Amino acid sequence: MLSQHLPRSLKWLWILPAILLFTFLIYPLSKLAATAWSTETLGELTSLTLWRVALLAGVQALLSVGLSLLIGIPIARVLFTYEFLGRGFILALVTVPFVLPTVVVALGFRSLFGDAIPNGLLLVVIAHAYINIAVVVRLVGAQWSTLDPRMEVTAATLGAKPLRVFMTITLPALRNSIVLAASVVFIFSFSSLGIVVVLGDGSSTRTLEQVLLRSTSVLLDFPAALAAAILQLVVVSLVFLISARISRDEPRAKVALERAKISGRKAIFVVALTCLVAVALVLSPIASILWSSVSSSGGVTLQWWSELASTQNTRIGSPIAALGRSIGLALATAVIAAILGGAIAIAVMSKKGFVVTLALIPLGVSAVTLGLGILLAFSRGAFDLRGTGALIPITHALIAVPIVVAVATPSLRNVDPRRYFVALSLGAAPLRAWWTAFGTVFSGVMLAAGGLAAAVSLGEFGAATLLSRTDSPTVPVQIARLLSKPGESAFATAAVLSVILVIITMTLLLIVDRIESRKVLT
Amino acid sequence: MTTSILHAHDLVIGYEKALAPPLNFSVRPGEIVVVVGESGCGKSTLLSTLAGVTPTLSGDIFLGDKDLSGVPIHKRNIGLVFQDPLLFPHLSLIDNIGYSLRASGASKNAARIRATELLEWVGLSEIAGQKTWQLSGGQAGRVALARAIAAKPAVLLLDEPYSALDTATRLRLLADVKTLVTSEGIPTIHVTHDHREADLLATRTLTW
Repeated sequence: MLSQHLPRSLKWLWILPAILLFTFLIYPLSKLAATAWSTETLGELTSLTLWRVALLAGVQALLSVGLSLLIGIPIARVLFTYEFLGRGFILALVTVPFVLPTVVVALGFRSLFGDAIPNGLLLVVIAHAYINIAVVVRLVGAQWSTLDPRMEVTAATLGAKPLRVFMTITLPALRNSIVLAASVVFIFSFSSLGIVVVLGDGSSTRTLEQVLLRSTSVLLDFPAALAAAILQLVVVSLVFLISARISRDEPRAKVALERAKISGRKAIFVVALTCLVAVALVLSPIASILWSSVSSSGGVTLQWWSELASTQNTRIGSPIAALGRSIGLALATAVIAAILGGAIAIAVMSKKGFVVTLALIPLGVSAVTLGLGILLAFSRGAFDLRGTGALIPITHALIAVPIVVAVATPSLRNVDPRRYFVALSLGAAPLRAWWTAFGTVFSGVMLAAGGLAAAVSLGEFGAATLLSRTDSPTVPVQIARLLSKPGESAFATAAVLSVILVIITMTLLLIVDRIESRKVLT
Repeated sequence: MTTSILHAHDLVIGYEKALAPPLNFSVRPGEIVVVVGESGCGKSTLLSTLAGVTPTLSGDIFLGDKDLSGVPIHKRNIGLVFQDPLLFPHLSLIDNIGYSLRASGASKNAARIRATELLEWVGLSEIAGQKTWQLSGGQAGRVALARAIAAKPAVLLLDEPYSALDTATRLRLLADVKTLVTSEGIPTIHVTHDHREADLLATRTLTW
């Protein structure tokens, strides 16, 4: 229906995102496949080592799913079925880990546990659960808030004890959202890079993404890299397929439910305890990073902050230079993503579903694969973009595109298209009428796309590792390098960079949130 | 008091504020007590208080000689049917009806036999294989009733269970309710705003 509300001059604008996505997504991925595909790739695909890594990553991802659900489900219960002062704040707080750069989270846990939990599977699983609590809380909570509480009461009047009510009534009712959350967490953990690089032990915690990065940047073994990318894509697609198969679509009465007020000592205790645990969980690693940035073996110090411009602790460029570089790249990413986001918004309005499907491809393709494809496609001849500094922003914008689609689509569908005809009937020219009807939401989509993409760019680790030059790393790359060095100063400098990254990322996301809450998007 | 199954003594119901003066009433074996009152007068709150869903503001509820203060819902042995059937959508009709028996430790087979018998009793055995959401409102109401009485609760509470249905279907279902609870010997409290339902069902009517 929205397509009827496009002026003739805009009707063909969907071609722009189609061309951009073909050029910077399909062409590089095809180029990668064509370059790396050989009989060796087939050999690599049957290599036991590769399958062993996939198996290890699978076990790690399953454990991460288990812990995320164990922590996330009780928090979802409290936040989405009770109404209390501070509920919104706690909900926003548990979302924070999801938007933090992965290397920052890794640093937080390294700093928090020190030698108490050595690098390895346990630490990786804890960090993955930390990042993904938000996925479980948001997805499961959203479904929980629509469940009729009288179902549970009915089961209780039939003699079921609370645990039985939960297991036989509540859990099955939440099945779809739990399956979806579990599959998202599985995919994130299975294809994790930043966390396993910093917190892994190099053996039990390896992932295919790590193999991919090592094969391309250290071993220059492209067939092995392609084999890892293919296997990862197959697993990710399988998980999505299985998740869709397990989810059942049971028609339910749509009820508009109000969250319950807390009554009774037991409920107050449970809600207070859950909130306290959630706050402590989220803030502990962040507080630990902050503490590491202002402390040394000699006590509290601002030394690490005062040495931001010095190369003394890094030997790979000053922290401030890395920050400047990352911010510059994030701004460039924001511009590209805003243009792409706007164009995709037009594609959504034109009902060009295939463009939207194209835009979702980066969900299944890892950042390193994408970066490698871009590098291969645009490093030769007339298309040599290496010297332009555009490779990283283009890759980051593509990584952010699925998020942009997720933000843009519902916002655009919520607009009442009749506004366009109202504006036309009031004498506005088609383009002006279109802008009157959709301009606010359209510009909102572009702003949000830019902001989200900038946040993604600031924290992205995999593609940046591959595409940034050794002497000019981005902040996440520099943090990871610092963490691989011994000594207090390297760790503290990484902590300072992390604190700054957290502040910038959170500010950006608050701005995006502000745009949304001012209803610019709806 | 000893002859009554359920006894309320100076019972004050409501949420923070009392909805009515203290209530004193009893339900005796075999009785169907119909409470008639306007919408919003607190009829549903009364049932939810008796079932243990809503805490009492003051006063006592006895089931036989047992004081129900602090007894959780699942240990009260009081059945409750809401205005909507609220069938569990992931369970079959047989498993819905047999739910209370399974919860009280009965074997799967025993629960299935009793559920099949009740499904037959409410005239739905030919649609036993259907999903809950494929049932009509009247059929779902019958299954909800069968589920509530399967484990023979000490008292059954009916909160205007068929109010969403058309009058003819509702009155037909209430006639079935009367037959079923009488044959099973389950004392029942039914709340409604419709005097015709009281005329049809009640062995005793209380007007709010």
